[in-house]
Formats: sequence, structure tokens, C-alpha cells
Amino acid sequence: MPEHDPEQELGPKFASAFQNRADATEVSGSRMAAVARGRVRRRRQAVMSTAAAVLVVVAIGGAWNLTGSSSMNSETAGSAGDSKGATSDSGVQRTPEGVSSQPIAPQDTGCPAAHPILKAPATNAVPAGTGLDVSTPVSGLLACRYDLKRGALLGQQTYSPAIAQQVVDAIKPLPEMNSQLPVFKCAPQTAQPSEAIVLRFTTAAGIREIWVEYTGCNTPGFFTGSHTYGLFAAPLKLFMTGPVRPAGSTYLDALTGW
Amino acid sequence: MEAALAAAEARSESIEFEQWVGQKADALMRFAYVLTGDRTLAEDAVQDALTTACARWARVSRADDPEAYVKRMVVNAHISWWRRFRRREAPVEDPVRSAPAAPDGAAARAESEEVWALCATLPDKQRAAVVLRFYEELSYAEIGVLLHCAEATARSHVHRALAALKTTLSKEGAEDA
Repeated sequence: MPEHDPEQELGPKFASAFQNRADATEVSGSRMAAVARGRVRRRRQAVMSTAAAVLVVVAIGGAWNLTGSSSMNSETAGSAGDSKGATSDSGVQRTPEGVSSQPIAPQDTGCPAAHPILKAPATNAVPAGTGLDVSTPVSGLLACRYDLKRGALLGQQTYSPAIAQQVVDAIKPLPEMNSQLPVFKCAPQTAQPSEAIVLRFTTAAGIREIWVEYTGCNTPGFFTGSHTYGLFAAPLKLFMTGPVRPAGSTYLDALTGW
Repeated sequence: MEAALAAAEARSESIEFEQWVGQKADALMRFAYVLTGDRTLAEDAVQDALTTACARWARVSRADDPEAYVKRMVVNAHISWWRRFRRREAPVEDPVRSAPAAPDGAAARAESEEVWALCATLPDKQRAAVVLRFYEELSYAEIGVLLHCAEATARSHVHRALAALKTTLSKEGAEDA
């Protein structure tokens, strides 16, 4: 007896059963298009809302990261051993507004490794033509902290044009010396300064400098080559941050609020 | 000018979708009902498929056979793991006899009921393969594409269902005798 193909034998039973059921079913697809359109609209609105929320979160996160990386870059630009000096009395890192987030390449735009201050006979001997006239507008500031005994760069930091001008404005009205500072009598070898900071201002005429001395026991203050200004906390607190903030010194210890 | 043209195009696209659904909704619902064996599930599957089709109507309407395209969406929705998970513990209504009893053709109707009841026991893919083969009259190659399996696998699904039906009908015949 030949074997029947089960599909030919039973297939029609399935087809008939399905057709009967389909025909007997009351269906109504009248509102389906409207419902579909409504769902698509709601889905798109949800997607748009979610996308907007994600954008806001990303924007906030980006701004937060930018702020974070700014202070990180400033810190890493300095030497590793200065972390203690970089913190204020309360233990909180001081990061002034407007500090540049750009990393500094010392060999290009950063502080010169062999700066004239390292070979100068005194820290007030700013070479002629390089000192800043404090009445000149400035558009940028790079602070370079040097170890004068080892002849090494200890740290550097850039500042925004606003901070740069604030520093100049804070120095401008200072008297020639701060009479509140103690007067020391020390041996010639200890009278020599161990550290100094060179403030390199960007002006229309190029880089102009103010040298800052705060160690030793001879001549603390700000030096432009043509003028001397006494050492006061007001300008110091604007730029003595991060890697260019010293741990202390004979004169700084006598000052408050820097 | 371009914005006006785009708006006009969107409007005509919208009208086309409404018209198309008006013509095809019943056929889609019947297909989905045969596929799922449940009117609620069928409505869900068709509505989901139409929602997807509405969102991509420009592409769907350009297909060779938009109805086949949307039916494929219904099948995909029915055999998707997510839908199977959702309906795993779905409450069901009390069974109701949908076809009225009649003196004529009672035996044929009984057999039809048997087949329908058997279909309810088949696994989703097997049932889908049977529906596509005997209701939609697709080839095994087309069924394989729709069910994301090889042609031989589609054939196997159908033949297993046929074997199960044969066993059921044989038992019924033996009991009747």
C-alpha cells in the first residue's frame, strides 16, 4: 500500500480549521491606525524627552569634567614635591578662577629652564627692558617658581587675563617696602634667597616680568627693574596657588592671608 | 517652499497609512488570530506591528508587498522571547464556544475543533510554521526566512505538527470505534 504524503492528507484539515476560525472571528480594525499613530507620537515624544535629558546630563557632566581637568592640569604642571605648599591652611586646594586648563610645555610656551634670575647677582636685578611697567595693560600671566640654589624650575602655572590684570593692579599701589615685616640680621650665606618667583606677563610689546622675592633676609618684594614694591599678601594670594605656592619662608611666615 | 512640500508629503503619507490599515486590518487580525489562537494576543500583535509600520511607513509602503511585510512583523512579534515571557502567566477568559452547534456538518466541525485544539498545544514556532504553510500558503523557504530558521527546520516544524495531528485523530478514531 503506498504511503500517503501526510501534508497532502492532513494539510487541508489544518487549512480548513484555520479558515473556519478566521471567518468566525469578529474582528474590528477600525481604530487601529489611529491608535498606531498615537503610539508613534507618544514614543517619539518619549524619545525626544529622553534625548533632551541625556543632553542636559552630558552637558552638566562635560562642564564638571572641564572644571575638574582644569585644576588637575594646573596641579600636574608643577613638581611633585610641592603638594604641601599647594594647600591652604584649611587643607583645601586653592584653584583661582580663570586658571588655564591648557597643559604647559616648558620647552615651548612655559617657563625657561635657564632663566636670567638663576644667574642674576640679586633678585632685584631685573635686566633692563624686560621689567613690566605696571601701567601697561596685560593679557596673560605665567608664574615660574625657581630654586635659586639648585638652579631648577620648581613649578609653573598660567592664569587668565583677568587674574593677570588683578595681580598688576594689586602690586601697583604698594609702597616700596612692607614695614610690618620683621627685620633680620643674618649671616651672608643665609641672607641669600633660596627661592623666587618670576611673573611673566603677556603685553602688547611681548613678555614683561616682575620678579618676586620672599626668601632670604635681605630684599623681599616685587621688582620690575625700575621700581620696587613691598611684599604684601594681596597680590601673593592671587598667584601663589598650586605648584607655584611655596610652603613658607622667613617673610611669608610673617604675612597672613596669602 | 520645501517645508510646505514636506508637510504635504507627510499628510499624504498619513492618509495613505490610514487608508491602507482600513483595508487590511481585518485580514491582519484574522491572520494574527489564527497565529496566536487568542483574540487579545492577536490585537496586541497587530497593534504593535502597525505601530512599528506607522513609524517606518515610508519604507514599508515602498515594499513589494506591504501586507506581507506587516505580517512578518506580526510573526516576529509573536515568536519574540519578550512577548512569550509577557504572556506566560496571562489570565485567560473562560472558554466559550465560538462556532454554534448545527446539525449539518457536525463531524467536520468536530474535526475542525480537534485541529484547532491541537494547534493550541503546539510550540509557538511550530504553530507559526503550520499557519504560514496552510493559512498563508507559503513555501518552506519563505517560512524559513520568516521564522529565522533553515528551510529544513521549517519543514520539520510542519511535519511534527502533522504527525501530532495524525496521532490525535487516530486516537479519536479508535475511541469512536
